[in-house]
Amino acid sequence: MNIYLAGKTLVGLFYPLFKAVQVYDINNNVVVNAAQKFTDYAANLFSTMSSIEFVRYRDYIFFNKQRLRYEVDGYANLQFLNNLLKTQRIKSITLNRRLTQREVIDFACILKEDLALFHKEVSTRKFEHIAVEILKPDEEQDEFIEDRKALKQTYFKALKVTRNLMQNLWTGRQVDVKSSRRVIYGLVDSISHDEFGILALTTIKNFDEYTFNHSLNVSILSLALGQRIGLDRKNLARLGSAGLLHDIGKVEISKELINKIQKLSDTEWKTMKLHSNFGVREILKTRGLDETSMVAITVAYQHHWNYDGTGYPLREKADEPTLFSRIVRICDSYDAMTTARGYQPVPYLPHFALRVIWSNQNRLFDPILAKVFTQLLGIYPVGSCLELTTGEIGLVMRQNPSTIDLPMIKVIVDKNNNRIDGPIVDLASDTEMKIRRPTYPQIYGINAAAYFL
Amino acid sequence: MKDEIDQIILGFTKSFKAMQMYGMSHSSFLHFFEPFYQILSNFLKEHNEFSLEVEKFGLIHNDRIVYEEEEMDMSIAFRLFKDGIRSIAFLSGLTSDELLLFIDVISRPAREWDIALGLWECNFAHITFYVIETDEVLDYQVPEVPAIDVDYDEKLKQLILKEKIDIDAVIIPELNPQEIENLKSNITDEERAALLPIVIKTLGDYLQTECSQEIIDGLIEILQTCVNVQDFRNARRICYKLKDYPDVNFIERFENETTIMSFREVLNVPQDEIFNEFLAFLGFFGKRSIPLIIQIMPFVERSDRLNALRHRIAHIAGNDVTPMIEFLESKDPDLLVNAIHMIGIVKPANTDKLFEPFVYHKDENVRMATVDALAAADQPAAIVKFVTDPAVEVRVRALCALGRQKCPEMYPVLLDRIKQNSFLALDFSEQREVFNYLAAHGDRDLVRVMRDILYKRKWFGAKKYRVMRRLAASTLSHINTAQALDILEKGRRKRNRDIAYACEAALKERPS
Ligand SMILES: [Fe+2]
Ligand SMILES: [Fe+2]
Repeated sequence: MNIYLAGKTLVGLFYPLFKAVQVYDINNNVVVNAAQKFTDYAANLFSTMSSIEFVRYRDYIFFNKQRLRYEVDGYANLQFLNNLLKTQRIKSITLNRRLTQREVIDFACILKEDLALFHKEVSTRKFEHIAVEILKPDEEQDEFIEDRKALKQTYFKALKVTRNLMQNLWTGRQVDVKSSRRVIYGLVDSISHDEFGILALTTIKNFDEYTFNHSLNVSILSLALGQRIGLDRKNLARLGSAGLLHDIGKVEISKELINKIQKLSDTEWKTMKLHSNFGVREILKTRGLDETSMVAITVAYQHHWNYDGTGYPLREKADEPTLFSRIVRICDSYDAMTTARGYQPVPYLPHFALRVIWSNQNRLFDPILAKVFTQLLGIYPVGSCLELTTGEIGLVMRQNPSTIDLPMIKVIVDKNNNRIDGPIVDLASDTEMKIRRPTYPQIYGINAAAYFL
Repeated sequence: MKDEIDQIILGFTKSFKAMQMYGMSHSSFLHFFEPFYQILSNFLKEHNEFSLEVEKFGLIHNDRIVYEEEEMDMSIAFRLFKDGIRSIAFLSGLTSDELLLFIDVISRPAREWDIALGLWECNFAHITFYVIETDEVLDYQVPEVPAIDVDYDEKLKQLILKEKIDIDAVIIPELNPQEIENLKSNITDEERAALLPIVIKTLGDYLQTECSQEIIDGLIEILQTCVNVQDFRNARRICYKLKDYPDVNFIERFENETTIMSFREVLNVPQDEIFNEFLAFLGFFGKRSIPLIIQIMPFVERSDRLNALRHRIAHIAGNDVTPMIEFLESKDPDLLVNAIHMIGIVKPANTDKLFEPFVYHKDENVRMATVDALAAADQPAAIVKFVTDPAVEVRVRALCALGRQKCPEMYPVLLDRIKQNSFLALDFSEQREVFNYLAAHGDRDLVRVMRDILYKRKWFGAKKYRVMRRLAASTLSHINTAQALDILEKGRRKRNRDIAYACEAALKERPS
């Protein structure tokens, strides 16, 4: 049995039960039937597992140690469970063999109580086959700021490989394909373990070496979006390489032109646009023609094709960009907008870039993907700097999967404009602190990326 | 428990060694592997998970060293360690196939082989592992961000104007069920969509901007793959893209005996579509390959396909029959017949001269093919010689061909023929073709002759007369003039039932 699917199914069966006990009497058929379905499915699982364990860790739900990923399919159920465990401060729930229908119903009933009552009930009522572990005070915050060494390792290793790859192409040297494959696999793993963690690292931009960080960021953003829409690992690996290689054609264009600060002339602009074509050739040269490189070739060629048929290179009416090209199209624009470059010294604020994407759905971007992308990043994407109603400045550290306009922030500037190492606040739980408006971190001399390292 | 773990490790070690020595299908390997799988899955049933930490030369379970081997090639631990794997876990639900594949992946010998990549690509549902990067990157540094002085409010105003967006619009990024459905079908479409046509199109489009050698090489490489796997649809797509570049010879590489002989497999595939794609692809071949293609023609089983293939080759030949002519010397009647047919399709001016030797060829099929080819080449005069062929099928074929062509010089001869007694001894099929010929070439006089045959007992013995009467009536209906039809109308009302019946039937078969 596939543990992942089993976990998602069980979460899906819990939701209707919980809803039922909120509305009906516990002896009502709706409740009994929902509980029956849940225990039947669990009983089936117990034939291969001795116990069933749900753990909540940093907004992720683990089912018997497998992380249940946020995907469009089943998103609401998982989001609901995460929220429920979060508000009741539950770290884990373990179900054991011989779990009864009665226990499940009783447990669902106390779950809907407020925090104090729930904790009291849990400690007084003894469930024979359900064990609940409650978070200790501050435990979650400690987890949250825990070392992200592995993620950083992956990101910077990937950056190094990307830089080597492009520089070797630039100088006509041999390209190491194996290490870039490893990098992609590393990124896919990171995404499936902790997409919010690795997404935070896309706030690392590089003014001088724009293309390397940009390529890697586009790859990461595409992977996160690809995972959210439910692509499997094989396709994620293809999408990841396609994202990494989307601008590879730029190695055929002179560095002077690429780094030019002044407005480009028509001819220069024309040359610049050719990078979509050149990308095809570069990938062909370095990667040959396996399936991964065929996907990358298509994406490199199509990544400036708009949803409404415009864009470059010119195409026939019937030619539509592939799903992967449409994903990269969005992620490419987002990262480009939010990065400072020669001709764009002031980057767009993340929330503003997201609104540009939002309001250009149908015209430039696939509307469904634009929605999922917004869901993924939230209204104030990670790295956003926010003026708070308390007069302080907060930096968005992490998305709240259940409340997209109320992220988790770290207070970094106090009321008197002093840089501080303030607390991490979950705006979804904190009722005092509200967002006044997003602001430029540069005003406070802040480089958002520094907080994620 | 300790014993159980030791048993698992023992099974693991033995299976690993046996895999290295014998490979996975050997009974000696299965002898070790099967009990290993059994004991491991029993353990997983009870404990859910069996995890091992990997050190340079050892494996550790629950802080206890359970395996040690310092001989690099022999050491499971070292193999995993060198590719950065630091832990492995088997989860309950593990299948025998997964475990088998796992052992296979970790025991492959090549120095180039990367176990971490290998395991990753297996996409195991019940085996997890943790990999660290081999060369550590420890100096994380945040790149400098240039200092800027920005009036945020002013900047925002400018940007809102530039991007024309409503900054306060409420954003609700929820997907409705229909959108979720669309997304799902988008994903399945993408998974199912063949990559090749898109890549071929992309490379082809690229060439329209710039004629790049790398792109052409890429297309040729795909073309080679397509031909190898007999994907002629995509092969043809590529050829269409490349044909605009006269300097690029993309087909030459296939114009050899080995490749063309390999096409035999496609000649009799059940799917017409595949065969037709193959024919279309063949259209890009040059004349030099015609002799080779002729060699595979005898393998075609279906006559319609054989015919299509002949036309395709004739098309390749253009109006030059040189490549086919050498086959006119062939001793193999199959090759000869095909060559004759194709020359007939090309219709060179000297067709009759080329075919002259075949009037007396000993093989009836060759003579028959010659008649067909001459008919295709509109050479009635040359067909006349076959009207007296010794084989009835050839004569019938020749008459039939003449009936469809303008060849009046045979008219008096054949008109005379039907009046002779010997005509009655001929096969019905031949008799009918003679009458057909006459009908096609006849004049007013023929109507009279036919009426005579219909009404009188002239020339013929009574026994055969019924057949002659029918043929005459039928010929009248083919002549189809007012006079001829009048005769039939009158005949239909005759008391003589034979005449009435023949006329009735003939009127029914009248061309409308
Ligand atoms: Fe680009
Ligand atoms: Fe880009």
